[in-house]
Amino acid sequence: MLNNARHRAVAFQALLIAAVVGAAYILVTATAANLKARGIPLGFDFLFRPSNFTISETLLPFSPRDPNWWAIVVGIVNTLFVSAVVIMLSSAMGLLVGIGRLSGNPLLSGATRVWVEVARNTPVIILLIFIYSMWWKILPPFRDAANPLPGVYISLRGLVMPKVSVDLSLAAWLMPLAALVITVAAHGLATRYQNKTGNRPPYALFTALVSFVIMVTMAIASGLSPEIEWAVRGRANFEGGFQLTPELTTILVGLSIYTTGFIAEIVRGGILAVGKGQWEAGRAIGLTEAKILRLVIVPQTLRVILPPLTSQYVNVVKNSTLAIAVGYQDFMTIVGTIINKTSHAIEGIAIILGVFLFLNLLLSGVLNVVNRRMAIVER
Amino acid sequence: MNRTMIKMVAGGAAAAILALATPETASAQSIVDKVRQRGYVSCGASQGVPGLSRPDEKGVWLGFDSDVCRAVAVAMFGDKDKARFVPLNAAQRLPAVQTGEIDVLSRTTTWTFSRDMAVRFVTTTLYDSDAVMVRKSLNVKSPKDLGGITVCLQGGGSLTEQALDGAEEEHKIKIKRVYFDSTIQARDAYFAERCDSYVTDGLAAAGQRASAAKNPDEHEIVYVGHKIEPNAVSVPRGDDKWFDIVRYSINVLVWAEEHGVTKANVDERLANGPKDVKRVLGAEPGWGKIIGLDDKWAYNIIKQLGSYRDIYEVNLGDKSPLKAARKHNSLARDGGLFSAIPMN
Repeated sequence: MLNNARHRAVAFQALLIAAVVGAAYILVTATAANLKARGIPLGFDFLFRPSNFTISETLLPFSPRDPNWWAIVVGIVNTLFVSAVVIMLSSAMGLLVGIGRLSGNPLLSGATRVWVEVARNTPVIILLIFIYSMWWKILPPFRDAANPLPGVYISLRGLVMPKVSVDLSLAAWLMPLAALVITVAAHGLATRYQNKTGNRPPYALFTALVSFVIMVTMAIASGLSPEIEWAVRGRANFEGGFQLTPELTTILVGLSIYTTGFIAEIVRGGILAVGKGQWEAGRAIGLTEAKILRLVIVPQTLRVILPPLTSQYVNVVKNSTLAIAVGYQDFMTIVGTIINKTSHAIEGIAIILGVFLFLNLLLSGVLNVVNRRMAIVER
Repeated sequence: MNRTMIKMVAGGAAAAILALATPETASAQSIVDKVRQRGYVSCGASQGVPGLSRPDEKGVWLGFDSDVCRAVAVAMFGDKDKARFVPLNAAQRLPAVQTGEIDVLSRTTTWTFSRDMAVRFVTTTLYDSDAVMVRKSLNVKSPKDLGGITVCLQGGGSLTEQALDGAEEEHKIKIKRVYFDSTIQARDAYFAERCDSYVTDGLAAAGQRASAAKNPDEHEIVYVGHKIEPNAVSVPRGDDKWFDIVRYSINVLVWAEEHGVTKANVDERLANGPKDVKRVLGAEPGWGKIIGLDDKWAYNIIKQLGSYRDIYEVNLGDKSPLKAARKHNSLARDGGLFSAIPMN
């Protein structure tokens, strides 16, 4: 019996499953028993009780009377906002810095190299605290707030500007739709023209212009005019207007600088990974250098850099939990506060784990789909 | 070997794992035994509040709350240096007690109903109220004047946050907040003028002003809220032996002040004091056995740390930079809120 390879395999599988199930059972029962012995309650009903705390900066409306689950949602939105902005900023800067690293200009390649080395070799928390305490030295206190333009103030309270808001009526929703239709139509026409004559007309600029003119006309026609809300200088604070706090700025700038360092290296590696022959082939069929980069090199580079880029984006979401170190309340901090106020530590940590797992699986899932569509189709 | 044998082996292995890892409940071993084996008391401390608990340049924790925890170490080991301190922020402190990571939490923690359901509060060590530190130039005289200002404070759900909520509701004002991970960061942000104000407990505010401000005279302390809140020491739930030792180690401090026993005169009192005093100080053999300590436990606490008054004066009172008046923290006979549990 035991000499039969198949039976042996089945037996080992069964043993493994038994061990895993047994270990899980022990873990759960031991945890439950210990929690009971220490008088720590389990359950999720605390989510529906009033939160009774405040959050300094939120994108969604929040008051201490709102339940804990809404506080968690507000926190997730704060985290998503920071992550999204950092991902966009660091992707754009990473592309530029990565290309800069390959530049023949020693000044440019040297400067970008310093950026990359500093970002990659500094603990991100140190970078954040350094930037945050730098504001204290650079920015003037409230009473001496700099006023470079009318309505714009810079001080330790942050950057304060007039807020421009446009009423989102039906016309406002129609405008981007119109622009989209024009772009698609122009693209189709240009392709047909190219197929006929071999020349592609420069339609992009034309489309942008026409869209802009149509948008402005529609806006004026529907009586839409932007509303401007000016910030007012109070006794100790600015009231109203658009305010960017030093805390939010620090986490956005700090994480972007840090992530840019990694993305730049990924971009550099991706460009170098495309063979020299591709450049030569491009030149041989008479393409300009810019066109070779855009049509030949970049599509192949994207294919190489997308998998490592995915893990950098996932890292951004995880690193955003450092925001509280510089006074910005993210999802993790808010759940921490809830844990402290309700003593539901196990459930709170489970929520933190679950949310981050979900966010990051979603992010890498989306990028994996993009990656699959971009991968080389082997024939 | 046939299939049934394989099954038996697998079943046996699973049973063995189960038997080996039977959950160990908290009641199995008292913290007293755990601490004695380990050789020191693990104390939960703050992240650095002058006068209450803050390490000096050599890493020795100084302050009232630290000395209270040392009293427990003296009772256990006869040595005030057998205490180790774990700095904790507002969000970490209670889970640290619940899970038994620390033995005693002695760090500006207000005794509340819901917290007492999670940990076990032993006894109040200080009565305090919430206070804001503001720059004098802002001319804040009462909580009403806090409208429209920015406050730096530690987040994580401490009761000081609720004092601000109360002031907002009562005076119909709006206060802007910037939350930090630690009270030290909040304080530094305030001193750097990121905020107009810094909120914490009254004694902690006095400590920060006396020791951390560049020019203490620039700052003013304004009390918010109407309550006097009990700051108390807590231990994990469900361990009466440990609870006893912590409660009476601290009670001895107040008892000593009531009976006029001080760090300076404890030897003289042991020799010539009234019978009741001599008994507590360990003149009668068997005194320590009642609580499971040695006979000289109370004597050792007073000899090494002093009475409540001694500890208060050195850390918060006239012998410290804070010079905080004792107010509610004096004995009942002096108009305060403290009286010792009789040591009979």
